[in-house]
Order: sequence, then structure tokens, then C-alpha cells
Amino acid sequence: MAAMRARHKIRAPRRGVSHANTEDFDSIWTVLSSSLTEINTKNASTLAFEEIYRHAYKIVLMMRAPDLYEQVKQLEQDWLKTNVRTLVTDSISSSLVRAQKSTDAQDQSSERREAGEKFLTVLKDAWEDHQLGMGMVTDVLMYMDRMVASRTHPPIYVACMALFRDHILRAPVRAGSALTVMDLLESTILFMIQLERSGHIIERPLIRHCIQMLEGLYETATEEESSKLYLTEFEPAFLETSKEFYQAEGQRLLEIGDAATFCRLATQRITEEEERCRYMLSATTEPKVLELLDEQLIRSNIDEVVNLKGTGVRRMLDHDQLEGLRNVYMLNKRVDKKKQALTNMVNKRIVEMGKEINASSILLPQAPGQSADKDGEKEKKPEKGKDKEKPQNQQTVSAIRWVDDILGLKRKFDNIWENAFASDQGMQGSIGASFANFINMNVRNSEYLSLFFDENLKKGIKGKTESEVDVLLDNGITLLRYIKDKDLFETYYKKHLSRRLLMKRSVSMDAERQMISKMKLEVGNQFTQRIESMFKDMTISEDLTTSYKEHIARSGDPDQKPVDLEINVLTSTMWPMEIMASKEGMVQLPCIFPREIDTLKQSFERFYLDKHSGRKLSWQASMGTGDLRATFVRSNGKVQRYELNVSTYAMVILLLFNDIPDGEALTYVEIKSRTRIQDHDLTRNLQSLAVAPKTRVLKKDPMSKDVKPTDRFLFNHDFQSPFVKVRIGVVSGGANKVENQDQRKVTEKKMNDERNGTIEAAIVRIMKQRKTLTHSQLMTETLSQLSARFVPDVNMIKRRIESLIDREYLERVSEEPPTYGYVA
Amino acid sequence: MAPSTDSEFVTIVSNDGFEFIIPRSAACVSETFRLMLSSTNFPEGRTGRCVLEDYSGVVVEKICEYFCYNEKHKDQVNVPDMDIPPELCLELLMAADFLNT
Repeated sequence: MAAMRARHKIRAPRRGVSHANTEDFDSIWTVLSSSLTEINTKNASTLAFEEIYRHAYKIVLMMRAPDLYEQVKQLEQDWLKTNVRTLVTDSISSSLVRAQKSTDAQDQSSERREAGEKFLTVLKDAWEDHQLGMGMVTDVLMYMDRMVASRTHPPIYVACMALFRDHILRAPVRAGSALTVMDLLESTILFMIQLERSGHIIERPLIRHCIQMLEGLYETATEEESSKLYLTEFEPAFLETSKEFYQAEGQRLLEIGDAATFCRLATQRITEEEERCRYMLSATTEPKVLELLDEQLIRSNIDEVVNLKGTGVRRMLDHDQLEGLRNVYMLNKRVDKKKQALTNMVNKRIVEMGKEINASSILLPQAPGQSADKDGEKEKKPEKGKDKEKPQNQQTVSAIRWVDDILGLKRKFDNIWENAFASDQGMQGSIGASFANFINMNVRNSEYLSLFFDENLKKGIKGKTESEVDVLLDNGITLLRYIKDKDLFETYYKKHLSRRLLMKRSVSMDAERQMISKMKLEVGNQFTQRIESMFKDMTISEDLTTSYKEHIARSGDPDQKPVDLEINVLTSTMWPMEIMASKEGMVQLPCIFPREIDTLKQSFERFYLDKHSGRKLSWQASMGTGDLRATFVRSNGKVQRYELNVSTYAMVILLLFNDIPDGEALTYVEIKSRTRIQDHDLTRNLQSLAVAPKTRVLKKDPMSKDVKPTDRFLFNHDFQSPFVKVRIGVVSGGANKVENQDQRKVTEKKMNDERNGTIEAAIVRIMKQRKTLTHSQLMTETLSQLSARFVPDVNMIKRRIESLIDREYLERVSEEPPTYGYVA
Repeated sequence: MAPSTDSEFVTIVSNDGFEFIIPRSAACVSETFRLMLSSTNFPEGRTGRCVLEDYSGVVVEKICEYFCYNEKHKDQVNVPDMDIPPELCLELLMAADFLNT
């Protein structure tokens, strides 16, 4: 029974097959083909999917699937050939064919454009219909596809797409013409793009659809990504035209001759192309066309643009055209990671501007300086340099201006760097290098910078807030970073600092300390060590003064006139001695102090040596000041008192007049022999006492501006001053100024001596550690050790090595390569 | 234009006039139904009504039962077997092939 049922049921499906057999292939195909034609003519809406599917299914069950496949292909081919192709070719106007060869976008553009748009629309519609139809065909023939496509044949959809490619796109435009629809399509699209590039508005969606068509069609049946018609046919053509276009565009923009415009337009072009690829073409083309644009438009032109006369980067820098610079930067960055062209130009300009600053700082003081020299020849003593107060002052001003100018320049470029160069690291480095470059061209950089600090710490920071001071000092420190010879700067700084400290000219000790800690951060501990110990000396001296006062008060010497003494005991190695010591090793006899002072001096010496035995005190009268109360008896008998604040030497000189009768005069020579003050200091002090118009405490005979050895001096009872307290500065002694040539030579010589020592120390340190070393290695190590402080001359190092060998610290170990050994 | 593509249910009709209303998602287990229903170019897609000319109500009922069974136990393991009467199996096999399920 069960078997029976099973057999009965097995038959059931067979009935279906045999039922199908009753209809033959041809009759089913007739039904099917008419349905497919309906689909092609877009009349499918009434056709039941199930019905077509069932027909195809039946044919496949008859094992006639390959036949069906071929038949469908044939049907579609015929359809395309007869109907669609005519439709497409009919849409091609003859003018479009003619215009095909012409590359000029402006030429008959509107006519060609219209014809092109019509053609593209028809083609696009044809394609979309075909795509839709084939989609439906594929759907209903799915069963056939499953049977056939898996083997040798591509799916019917692919096959039909290939048909479209072959019979529509590859068809000649006119019978017998070599020009195919594809060629025309390509050239039309390119023409449209060209139109858009020249500023017209085109129908992007239309183009987009045509491009999508090309992207949907493949060269081969396997449909690899790379065989898309878009990639094989259109893209190369597009890139080729783009290349030509941008070559021409580059030329055209260059001819306009405005760098800012060039960059603006180029940047615009880049965004345009990006957009074009995104909205009209394919994303895969974007990097390619941009690369091409970089190459054609930017890389080959950027140098010229940067260097364009009158409008190039130079002008942008000069006028702070951030927008333009930003564009240049972006463009250059596209083609060159290092932004060579721009960097070079910026560097060149920085150095140029820096040189201008250098030059103006040198030129300016020279002009008045020379005229002053001429004046001097007429009426001054031939001793130049010592009393050129005015030009020197100007030079100081110009030194400070130099620093200010550089800071201005630095700010300017920092601003540009930040806003236009996107804070680019490489740019920062090269800008810094350029600054260092021109700053070091000015041989007096260290001195100028130190003067700048001096000026600011003395006056500049008055009334400024802490943060402002901070910024100011930071700016200075930035410049210090660029200076190569930091040891020279240290020397000057120490010199200027010592004046500030001893003469109490510094506005704020806090600012001084701040400055030092900043320098320490920037240059290192070793650098500030000595400067710090100068501060220490000052503090110790304060304590010392207080305890000395206590000592005096305790000992209570009644017959001594109470003279206040404020003393600074300085460690001689830490302080710049050239400002106090005698010149060129000449032993200077100490000046003779008046009696009151002398006792005071001895009393302090006793006190000090009691506390610290074994030390030697040498008195630096040139650095001190004294307060005097002077009585002037007017000719009408009235008495006027003034308090005079003068330098120690001036005090000594004035006290001399206490010892001589009223109205008598002292000659220069007499003063000199009684005080043993050096000519140099004596002249200066006498000048400030007798020549300077506001502080004429002494009368000079004859009345001239210069002090000559034959001059006579007498006390000026007619001295007038609106203030009771009068401060009499020493001519060109009190302020820190630019050195004159002689002083500079001295400083340089000292510098060299010091450097020699430092180099030797470095060499010995290295050799002690390494025992033997080749010449070149020793050189490199020495240079790198010293580079923080200054850039040593190679010859200098060589000489030091020689000298060390002579003194048997080193020995030559071998000649090839030259090697040295350390002698313990 | 009755319940169209956006309707949640579709109607499957057998050659002897039985109608089965099942969720669209269930019917789309079959590739054939999916294609048939997905495009508005064919009346099936627009109306959501598919006529299977080759299959009787008994078979179509079983087919629809399978669709729902499949939908219910989607992504599950250890599901109970579906009950298939032996007399229907060959015909169902044919239908499965036709419907590409």
C-alpha cells in the first residue's frame, strides 16, 4: 500500500514535465520573445512575471537552455541594432560630428553644446532603458541564468551589456564613418568639461549619468574593476585633455603676472577638480587628476610664481598678505614636502630684511659720528673715542633699535608662520635658521642684545606689568638663541650687569633674577653661574655694610666724622674686571684719598680682614659714588647749600678744594699729582664737573669744551640748580654704551684668550676620557662641546692642539690618519 | 493599484484558486518571489499578488508553511523538523527548484 502510494505520488510531478513536453520549444519561444519585445518597448506592465518565468523555466527543463540564451541574445542584438542605434545616431547632428575635431572650447560653443546635450540625453535615455529592460529580462530569466551562466557563458545581463557596448557605443556614427558613438561621447563630455572649466554652467547630472554608463560597462565579460570602459577609454582621454588644459592654464596665469592671483586661481582649480570628480566623474579619478594638476599647474610653475617680481612671495611678505601666502604655502605643500621654493624665498627675504636692519644700525650712527669727528678736529682734542659721547649715545640707541627691529621682524614672521604656513615645523626651522644667519652677520650682535637688556632693565620696564616684562625678556631670549657666540654675549652682559648693580641702576631686582633664570633655561647652568655669583656678592655686601655700620656704632669713635659707607665686596674672578682694573696690565697706583676717606677705608679694611683673613681688598674708586654737602657762598654773601651726588673720583677732586683757600685755582697737573687719578678718569670727571652746563661746580680757565693739561680749575660759587640734591654723572662712564673701536678690540682680544682656554679645557677633557682619538673625531667632539657657547674657528682649535702637544699634554700617536694620544 | 510594494503582506494564489497571505519577508526567502515582488515593472510587484499557475493549493499551502517556518526559525539552531507528507515531497522538490528557495 505504501509502495503504491509512493509510486502514485512520484508520478505526479512527471505529469507536469510531460505536460510541458506537449508544447514545443518554438511555440514557447514565440510567446516569450513577444514578451521580451514588450519589455524592450517598455510595455511590460501587463506581463505577469510568473508567466514569463514559467515559460523560460519550461524551456530550460527541456534542456534547451543554451538555445534560449542564444535566442535572447539575438533578440536583444536585433533590437539594439535596428531600433536603439538609429535613435542614437539620429540624435547626432552633423555639426556635432564636425565639431568633434575642434578642441577650442569657445568655438561655436553654444551650438555644439546644444547638439551635445541632445545627443547625451538620447544616449543616456537609451542606456537607462536598456539597463532597465535588461534588469527585467535577467529577473525573469533567472532560472536560465542559473543553468547556463555558471558554465562557459556570462550571465545574460552581462552579455546584453556587452551587446550595448558593441552595437551602440562602438557603432559608427554614420554608415561608413570611422567615428564611433563612443568617440563622440568622449569628445562631447570632454567638451562639456572644458566649458565648465572656462566658467560656463553645464548640466552636471547628464554628464554624471553618461559617466555612470561608462562605469557600468566593461571591456571583458568577466567584469574586472580595471576593465571598466570608464577606466580604459574615458579616463585616459580626460587626463590627457586636463594635462593640456593645465599646461596652458599655467602659462596663462603666469602671464597675468600676479602671484596672488595665480595662487588664488590655482587653489580654486583644485577645489573645482575635486568637486568635478566627486559630482560628475568618478572618485577614482580624483587623485589622478589632482596629481596631474599639481604637476602641470603647480610644480612646473611654483618657482616662477614665488619669484615673480613685484607680486611674488617677496611682496606678500612685505605687505603681510597672509591670504596669498597661505595659498602659496598650500600649493607648494602639495607638490613638495619640504616646500623648497617658498622656504628659499622666505629665507632670502628674511636675510635681506635682516641685512637692512644690520646696515641701518651701522649706517645711522656713522653719519652723525663722522660729522662729530669733523667738529672734533676743529675744536676738540685729537683724542677721539673718549669723548664722543653723542655719537656713542646714538649708537646705543641704534643698537637698541636694532634689537627692536629684529624683534619686530620676528613677530612679523611668527605671525605669518602661524597664520599662513599652518605652523609648519620645517618652515619654523628654516625661518629660525635665517634669523640666526643674519643676526650673526652683525658682529656686534651680542653687544647690541646685551645693551637691549640693559636698557630695558634700567628704564624700559618701568611701569610695565609683570607679564609684559616677561614677554619682553622672552623676546630678547629668543634672539639670544640665534646668537652663535654666546660667550661674547655673556661677557657683555656681565659688564652691563655689573654697572647696573654697582650703580644701582636696575629698576627691579626681580626682573634681573627672572632674566637670569630664563637665560639658564635657554643656555644652561654654566652660562649663568658667574652672573649668579655676582648677585650673591651683592647680597653678601649688603650684609657686610650693615654689620660694618654696627661695628662702627659699637666702637663709637667720637672724633671721626660720621661718614656713611656702603660697600660692595666683589669676587674678582666673577666680575668683569676690565671695567675696574687698569688697562693692559699697567699697575695703577691707587688714587690718593683725602684724609677722611682714607681713615674710613682703613677702618673698613681692618674690619673686613678681621672677619676674613687672607684676603686682599683692592679699592675700585672708579666704580663708586659719594654724597657731598657743598656750601656755595654767593657774591652777595648769601649761602646756598646743595647735596651733590658724584662719583668717587669727583668727590676726591672736590674735596681737594676744601684744602685750598677760597678763590685759588688748581691746575690739571696739580690735581693729577695730588690725587693720582689716571688721565682717562680725571679728564672725564673734570669734564662733568666743569664743562657740563648744568652741573658746573668748578670753573675752568680757559672756558672750552675740552680739558687740557694746562687748564686751571676753581670752585664755582655761582653754581645754580633748581634742586637741592644734584646728581652729577660722569661723562660717558655711567651708562652702558656701544663700545668704540678700541674698546671693542680689547674685548675681542679678551674673548679670544678666554676662548683659547675654553678650547684647551674641552680638548683635554675629551682626550682624558678617550685616551686616543683621530684628528677629525677630536675636532667634531670639540666643536659639539663648544657649540653651546660659541662657534669656534677650526684653525683656532688646531692651534690649541699644537700648543697642547708642545706642552706635552697630548702626543701624536700616528700620522695616517692623524691620531692623538693623551699624556697622563 | 491595490496594496503595493510597501505592504507587509503578499498574496500567493494557487492554480485552483486558493489564496495564501503571508508576510512579504517570508515570501522573499524564495529568490523567484523576491525578484517577482521587488520590481514595480511587473504586476506582481505592484499588486503583491502572485499566481502560481503550475501548483495546486495543497502544494502552495505547504510552500507557504515552509516560508513561515523558515522565517520563524531564522538564525536558530536545534529547530524542530518540519512535517512534510511523503506524497508531496517530489512535487515540493520541483517547486523548490522553480522558486529557487
